[in-house]
Amino acid sequence: MHEASIALSVLEIAVDNCRKAGYNRIESIRLKIGRASGIMLDALLFAFNAVKADTIAAEASVIIDEIPVSGLCSSCGKDFVTEEKYILCCPECSSASFNIKTGRELEIIDMEVF
Amino acid sequence: MKVKVVTRILEANERIAAENRRLFDEAKVYVINLMSAPGAGKTSLLEKTIKELNGKIKPAVIEGDIAGTADAERISSLGVPVIQINTGGACHLDANMINEVLESLPLKETDLLFVENVGNLVCPAEFNIGEDMKAMVLSITEGDDKPLKYPLMFQESSALILNKIDLLPYTNASMEKIRKDARSLNPSLKIFEVSCKTGKGIAEWADWLTEKIRS
Repeated sequence: MHEASIALSVLEIAVDNCRKAGYNRIESIRLKIGRASGIMLDALLFAFNAVKADTIAAEASVIIDEIPVSGLCSSCGKDFVTEEKYILCCPECSSASFNIKTGRELEIIDMEVF
Repeated sequence: MKVKVVTRILEANERIAAENRRLFDEAKVYVINLMSAPGAGKTSLLEKTIKELNGKIKPAVIEGDIAGTADAERISSLGVPVIQINTGGACHLDANMINEVLESLPLKETDLLFVENVGNLVCPAEFNIGEDMKAMVLSITEGDDKPLKYPLMFQESSALILNKIDLLPYTNASMEKIRKDARSLNPSLKIFEVSCKTGKGIAEWADWLTEKIRS
């Protein structure tokens, strides 16, 4: 994926929201990232550390809530959660007819500012 | 002090994609985002499809490439409006690149806009451009292991066009494996087997497209 441009978007959205709330420094930013979103967490953190320099987020840490892949199988009705990044069939009955419910998230949740 | 944000990180792209979508709907244009690895045959498929549609559906094309105008010239020689986007290094098209060229296309006189994305099996699947449908081309010479190696594009696409089937006798690719793996990633995927060289399967694909646009 594009961790550097994702890191830039995170920085832009965070700085914007911090200013709107009337604050000048960002202490931490919390992200929700699905395991199937295509993001390499290490690469994202590395890129964020590079782009945050000389901004109001220069000292900011990034906290990541990793969301596992989950879904609902329309064959066996099982509500499943898996540790896998991608799934090809229902972990319960191996049917291919399932719907993914979580795992593709790519969001900023909140942040600590001061 | 805690500040709630709850914003999609790719929100800027999503917003422009929605704006593109509004312009397409207003002009009644059906838009296909066509993706594949380099050399799978996207431009050849467009040439064949445009000839097959034979003016019954009025097409236009946006060509996305890192550099050069070779593809746009091929399409232009068919008398179809075409715009070339050179990304200058970027590995995919995004909503903003599309938005910037829309003014230069006769959208009101267009029924079907093909957006030929940059050749790449990864990144194009991650950026919406305001399309009605994503479709992908996989040439069988790329190997039958591609669905499981590049799952996202197979999951995001509504149609999979398997190209170069005239070369099947010369490869070890198993059509059955491609079909099975692609379907398990995306149960509703519509699969076409075509050869842009011999023309096999083009009519079936073009008929399906025509039906999609009119429905």
